[in-house]
Amino acid sequence: MIPWDKLHGAMTHFPIALLMFSTACDFVSVAFKKLSFARGLRLVSFYGLAFAALASLGAVVSGIALTKGDMWGRGDFGWHHRFVWPAFGLLVALAVWRLVVRDAMSRTGLCLYLVLMLLASGFVAAAGYFGGELLLSGGGVP
Amino acid sequence: MIMTPLEIKGAVAGVITSVFILVATFTAGGIYRNHIESETEPGNKPLDAATLAAKGRTFFFQSCAHCHGQDADGGEDAPSLLKLQISGTHMALVIQSGIKDEMPSFAKKYNEQDTAAIVAYLKTLH
Repeated sequence: MIPWDKLHGAMTHFPIALLMFSTACDFVSVAFKKLSFARGLRLVSFYGLAFAALASLGAVVSGIALTKGDMWGRGDFGWHHRFVWPAFGLLVALAVWRLVVRDAMSRTGLCLYLVLMLLASGFVAAAGYFGGELLLSGGGVP
Repeated sequence: MIMTPLEIKGAVAGVITSVFILVATFTAGGIYRNHIESETEPGNKPLDAATLAAKGRTFFFQSCAHCHGQDADGGEDAPSLLKLQISGTHMALVIQSGIKDEMPSFAKKYNEQDTAAIVAYLKTLH
């Protein structure tokens, strides 16, 4: 029997960490765009976002298996899902957008991208918070 | 220009991919849930709610009542289980996983059907 609770607990941390790291790299690269390592930071943020999107698939699949297909729920469980689904959708959309555009961003595109990255990070953080609440109340990894 | 054609193309691709993946995820989740529900009892005949709750009540008195109280209104070290504000899935997860340093896991003692019965009983306490 596959320990979905432990797998989900382990896999969720990859998209959370990678997305936030990617967002931070983007903001630092914008703030220090004249420095030579800004280009490197943008490359790191690109791969961070791409791997966050890939890792989120594993987190979602293990989550669905863990909850036996309950995609919504009540209480903390419901709140976890209210933030998870927008975060997942936004993360995938941003990764695809970045894959297409790469570094050829206009000023407007970059601003919009950064705002949406912040929003996605907020959703992911909130989903993680309510996931942690579930954990503390015994609904997850023991 | 507000956004370049490449950015617009990327945005369209991103939105389409995102919507497709979300729809596929929810569809797969729904199919999986229906599959699980159809397998809850041998012969694909789920017990009616009253029978399931009665079975769960038996398990409750065997394993839960000595900590949570005979009336499920709480004990010295365990909270009341009356009017729980969590979903059935969440209740099942707690029963199966336990709570670290607070409540043991009952995964080895009760299978998924038994756990569903306990959850059905707890829901009657609302």
